[in-house]
Amino acid sequence: MAVSADPPRVFPVDDFVREELYPGYRQAFGSQPFVAGPVRPFSPADNERYWLRDSLHFSEGMVPASIATLDDAQTWGAQLGAEIVGVPPTRGSVNRLAGTHVYIGTIDVDTQWQVQARAARFGQYVSPILADFDSYWSMRAAELIAAYEHFDHLNLAAMSPGELWAAVKDAYAFHRRAWFIHFEVMYVLTANYLAFYALAEEIGLSGSQVSSFLSGRPTFYSRTDEELWRLAGLARSLGVDAALTSGSTADMRSRVLALPHGAAWVAEFDSFLGVYGQRTEETCRIDTPSWIEDPSPALYCIGTFLTKPAGFDFHAARAAAVSERDAQIDAARRSLNGSDLTRFNEALASNQAANFAWWNEEHNYLIDRRAAIPIRRATLELGARLTDAGRISRPDDMFYLFKPELFEVMESGDEGRWAELAAMIPDRRAYFEHWRERGPSLPTMLGTIPDTVPDPIMIEVFGLSGHFLETLRGGSGGGSGAEIRGFPAAKGVAEGIARVITTVTDLYTVQPGEILVCGGTTTEWTPAFGIILACVCDTGGSLTHAAIVSREYGIPCVVGTAVATTMIKTGDRVRVDGRAGTVQVLA
Amino acid sequence: MSPAPAGEAVLDLAAVRASDAPRVGPKMARLGQLASAGWRVPDGYAVTADALEGWLPPAALAELHQLFSAPTAGAAVAAGPEFGRHQRLTQLSEQARRLIEGQTLPSWLADAVADAHARLAARTGRGALLRVAVRSSAVGEDGHAASFAGQYETYLGVSGADEVLRHIAKCWASGYSAHALDYRRRFGGSSPLRAHDLAVGVLELVDARSAGVAFTLDPVTGDRGRLVVEANWGLGESVVSGQVTPDYWTVERDSGRILERRVGAKLVWSVLAGTGAAETGNADDGGDGDDGDSAVEVGAEGANRSGTVLAPLPAELAQSPCLTDDEVRYICRQAAAIEEAEGTPQDVEWAIARDLDVPDSVYFLQHRPETTWASATPAAPPPGTPPASAPAPAPAKSFDPVQYALRNVFKVPGT
Repeated sequence: MAVSADPPRVFPVDDFVREELYPGYRQAFGSQPFVAGPVRPFSPADNERYWLRDSLHFSEGMVPASIATLDDAQTWGAQLGAEIVGVPPTRGSVNRLAGTHVYIGTIDVDTQWQVQARAARFGQYVSPILADFDSYWSMRAAELIAAYEHFDHLNLAAMSPGELWAAVKDAYAFHRRAWFIHFEVMYVLTANYLAFYALAEEIGLSGSQVSSFLSGRPTFYSRTDEELWRLAGLARSLGVDAALTSGSTADMRSRVLALPHGAAWVAEFDSFLGVYGQRTEETCRIDTPSWIEDPSPALYCIGTFLTKPAGFDFHAARAAAVSERDAQIDAARRSLNGSDLTRFNEALASNQAANFAWWNEEHNYLIDRRAAIPIRRATLELGARLTDAGRISRPDDMFYLFKPELFEVMESGDEGRWAELAAMIPDRRAYFEHWRERGPSLPTMLGTIPDTVPDPIMIEVFGLSGHFLETLRGGSGGGSGAEIRGFPAAKGVAEGIARVITTVTDLYTVQPGEILVCGGTTTEWTPAFGIILACVCDTGGSLTHAAIVSREYGIPCVVGTAVATTMIKTGDRVRVDGRAGTVQVLA
Repeated sequence: MSPAPAGEAVLDLAAVRASDAPRVGPKMARLGQLASAGWRVPDGYAVTADALEGWLPPAALAELHQLFSAPTAGAAVAAGPEFGRHQRLTQLSEQARRLIEGQTLPSWLADAVADAHARLAARTGRGALLRVAVRSSAVGEDGHAASFAGQYETYLGVSGADEVLRHIAKCWASGYSAHALDYRRRFGGSSPLRAHDLAVGVLELVDARSAGVAFTLDPVTGDRGRLVVEANWGLGESVVSGQVTPDYWTVERDSGRILERRVGAKLVWSVLAGTGAAETGNADDGGDGDDGDSAVEVGAEGANRSGTVLAPLPAELAQSPCLTDDEVRYICRQAAAIEEAEGTPQDVEWAIARDLDVPDSVYFLQHRPETTWASATPAAPPPGTPPASAPAPAPAKSFDPVQYALRNVFKVPGT
């Protein structure tokens, strides 16, 4: 059939743009493109719910660009994970911002039919994964590793503008995907863990022992620590230790290189960074550099380790922790018989195969501390080009643009818009600094403090126990000489001088032999556990990082005290009893 | 030469306990624990991971460093698909392994091994005739380490302290196989130079008349009321690697009654090749012990590289069961006791020494948690699996984490 002309390619929508929909229709009647609710500032309605300051993950506030990564992670990722897994009581977490600081709340499932329907599909989703967790996690880990191989090897500087912009978009798309994986796995594993916990309570053991039963399996972070101790030992052998224990970390590398065996040590250190350096200090914060960009945290750790004359015997501590774990399992078994013993053994086997206590550390390397690095790299390259073009003053100005602003200006090609955006950046920087200073004085909880929290995951990960909530309401006393109570996270008794730390950047002030008192710890704090005598945290339950790592290092730990950082001052002499879960301020 | 570490470099097996896993690897630790609990295991000793940490002389380390920092090496060990990489990886692997195998262990370590070996020769009463298995025993329990541990090799039939030392270096060098380098490249676990946390176990080689595996549940149906034994004449490798249809028994747990016995189509058996040190390509099991000595022959060159060869089984042996009923019942009782001590179903490897009578002849070589049925549901038997006489349905597990979580954690009404 002959074609006389090209068929029309555009069928204009203009007629329908002018038409109105039903009387009273508003745009908002379309469904929201979000699972349950995006990141927002507080609104008056939020007074009716509880909001916990999440200093555990985000201690220093979010720059504008990081609000999008937060939205992908703890908000969208958690909600999609809870939806897909079908966690019965919760639709996941939701976030609010106080200035730049992050608060977390949960969205309860509030009708019985939905709870039942979720329970029905929960089993279908979770059971096959628990039956072969190793294969399942290997598959997810392989997907993440393949993405990092792609992003880490992009030659951004050689890209055309179109390619670079595509890389930015890819990096954001990957970030979202990584966070869905995070919460999918987390909800599956917490169910397994919490079942074991509840069983332990039912058969006369203490639920608080369960994470001890599951301890001792090496993670990427325990290997990092081990390498840092090794590098410290090597520095001593090569006689470069003095350069690592004095002066600023900024010129440490060049000072070490100037020494006779300095090049050999630096080569080992660089090879360490090649494997262990793809990590930032905090989650979702694209304004924080990776260790490869700025190895100061690693150098600080090595320097601190070198101040311990004998060095910490990492293998001995690990062996002790493993044998302590085995002894606890043996003791538990001796106290049980019949079907209780059978159920204990089966629950233990299920949790050894799908081990939340282990994954809770291990996954940080593949997700929390790494997923935003591709966005950061591509954004900084774009920022360098925009700086050269005179659009912004410096590459990291990019962090002070909200993601929708950036996408709009890049996709529309509206050159005039850059001047408006650039003009706001200095004020946004000032705003961030202002809120950074206010961070330590923000309340632990806002809104209505509940009697109990229905989401068991919030209880174990963030430590929102009845005691914690009661303490926040002022139900238990304070004052000097008072005893602070919390969750007994790792046994042992220690007495010493307290060091109160509110952000990870101040971690570098901790001295060997002190007792660390903080809001909560994350992976980045781990090396400090080699030098402190004990650890006390405001937040946290049995699954908290501080609890897990304290057991590995064999030091006492009390978490979930709610008030330790407000009741204890740096320099106070305190006594920590990790078995009783108490902290006394002695003087 | 690296200085001697503070702890013992070499531990006699009698001194090894489960808690030594970080020093000697879970495999040797479990064996030591078993020995201390009175089980008959091959005597031996373990060279600790601490002793082997940094044993390579600085010059060799530098050379290794250079090898891996050459531009072609960089491309071979770097990520991303690239044509011809496998060939370069293989070359690189061969160079690295040759380099490492050419090094001598520090003299303090050589002395410690020679002492331990002399003690073992005296304890076993074999003197210079002592033949041992030199087994890589990877330290570390995590999934990646376990998978990586599978890259290390084990050498059977080694004689004399000098040969043991040479094979310890070979175990270490086996961490640089092309397969291992490729694994590290893909999973980014560590740099090529920071290769491994490896201990080595040296165990008397059991001169096995018959050997095999006992499962403390039916591996096909998951039935925990019965135990299953699979065995063949000779060393256990032919059974573990699935190269024969072995003899097969099922035993009722409570009564010890043999429910079924089947003589397998045993066309071949594993025997030691020749004399002196012979090598197998046996992959070490994971640090977690979940896949075990897979004892896979190393491809076409297996016949001349491997210490165990598959030889045709003499006809008179092929038709007869390789265990007596007494031996089957004894092995099952002991396997059940190991299960009880461990708390979970186990796969137990054992061997029957040629010149002794049951029960003194039965040695336990290693055991690991049974994983197939840890939380799986019954599946159809694989093709070619003979049907059990009366397969009982798998008993329901007492503890289902999902149902328990719904009822007791999430407190969903009606669950």
